[in-house]
Amino acid sequence: MFGKYKPLWGEKTRLKSSYDAVIIGGGLHGLATAYFLAKEHGMKNVAIIEKNFIGFGGAGRNTAIVRANQRTQINVPLYKEALDLWPVLTKDLDFNLMFNNCGNLNLMHSEAAMNAARMNIATAQFHGVESHLLDAKQVKEMVPALNISPDITYPIHGAMYHPPGGIVRHDAVVWGLAKGAVKLGAEIHQQTEATAIHTENGKITGVETSRGKIHTPRVLVSAGGYSAGIISQMLGVKLPISVLTIQAMVTQPLKPILNHVVSSGAYHCYANQTLKGEIATGAHMDPWPNYTTLTTAYYIKHQAQALSEFLPCLRGIKFMRHWGGLADMTPDMAPIMDGNDPIDGFYMNCGWGYFGFKSCSSTGKYLAEYMATGSCPDILKPFNLRRYERHELMGETAALVNYSPDN
Amino acid sequence: MSLTLTCPICGKRNGYEFRYGGEDKGPRPEEEGLTPRSWCDYVHMNKCVAGVQKEWWFHRDGCGSWFTTYRNTVTNLEVEGPEAKE
Repeated sequence: MFGKYKPLWGEKTRLKSSYDAVIIGGGLHGLATAYFLAKEHGMKNVAIIEKNFIGFGGAGRNTAIVRANQRTQINVPLYKEALDLWPVLTKDLDFNLMFNNCGNLNLMHSEAAMNAARMNIATAQFHGVESHLLDAKQVKEMVPALNISPDITYPIHGAMYHPPGGIVRHDAVVWGLAKGAVKLGAEIHQQTEATAIHTENGKITGVETSRGKIHTPRVLVSAGGYSAGIISQMLGVKLPISVLTIQAMVTQPLKPILNHVVSSGAYHCYANQTLKGEIATGAHMDPWPNYTTLTTAYYIKHQAQALSEFLPCLRGIKFMRHWGGLADMTPDMAPIMDGNDPIDGFYMNCGWGYFGFKSCSSTGKYLAEYMATGSCPDILKPFNLRRYERHELMGETAALVNYSPDN
Repeated sequence: MSLTLTCPICGKRNGYEFRYGGEDKGPRPEEEGLTPRSWCDYVHMNKCVAGVQKEWWFHRDGCGSWFTTYRNTVTNLEVEGPEAKE
């Protein structure tokens, strides 16, 4: 991976002593921000520093699902734009991101859930996002493999069908954005760990790395699950975040049976069939904050139980691979994007939990605008950190969540 | 990732019997002079330490005790706290 091979995006460059901006974290959000900084704002003297290798974290560990069926009016437009950007980026980056807009089918297991779906659908339609309510019979017609009989733990009452969502090849997004950003002038430095962020008189002055000191007036911490720890440890700014492990797995490859992403909140399970034929599936998070990406038998058992109830044809199918990643959860299930508060030149992009993948394109675009101009674009304003002390939590979930064993 | 925790009453038990209760943030702040910021700090803000932290647990599927213990968040293993070494 490192050795003598030339990276896909070009020759390795030396780490300079000064940049216009430093981005900590070579994930999708960091890469997208660097790409848009160079492309739309002419800020090319930018270094992305990555402790491991690009795409090591959430970028390569998610289940590749994209959608814009969130709950609040604040979040939907951001995710809608991200969804609209996949075909645009495929063209602009000249890289096949393998966007498969097969649509998402979000199963509902009670009349209360159907009502909640009606509200979500109204929000989506108001923002021009296609979303429909289906009854159980229509669901069965759409995905014949689903079990709509009433004798399972959580019988299927219907579903929220969101046709524009689907799957994007996550590694291709990493490679495409890396190539695009470097081509426009940004630098990617792998195996480079940020060890300190320097400030002077309330302003950012530089970043200490494992490969030397960098002078810079702007730092973006966009390190996924590691962001909250970095920000708290290096700058003493505490965040309303809990970092939990979330696991996913794939089965052996099968003939095509699932042509939509199917998810169920009640079963805590979502599944889609990859282009290789595997059923990729994931569920809730582990019930305790930790930084391991270890996997558990407990989780495999849960997946097997849930899938064999609502997709009974999968009974007896073997899981092939199983992995874990980090989700940095906030109390209102919405991210924190903020800048110049409390330190000038310090920007943060974190709290994306398990939905950072679907939002990376639009977030990168607006964060680049924020960093280049110094003023916050309107679409990002509600995502500030101070909303928690003002008690303006976003309500991405119907009830406040506490990230522990129950969810 | 077989987490076990030591309940003060039931002893060492499977981690799935417990509910995580958050980072230990010291005593609840006094209501007098409490600002939205200091209340938010107590309610929401975390240090997210990559290493050993003191934290609350509830023995949900057991005796119902609330207790604090130390755990290394990088290995997800319960460790001896500084009190034990004194």
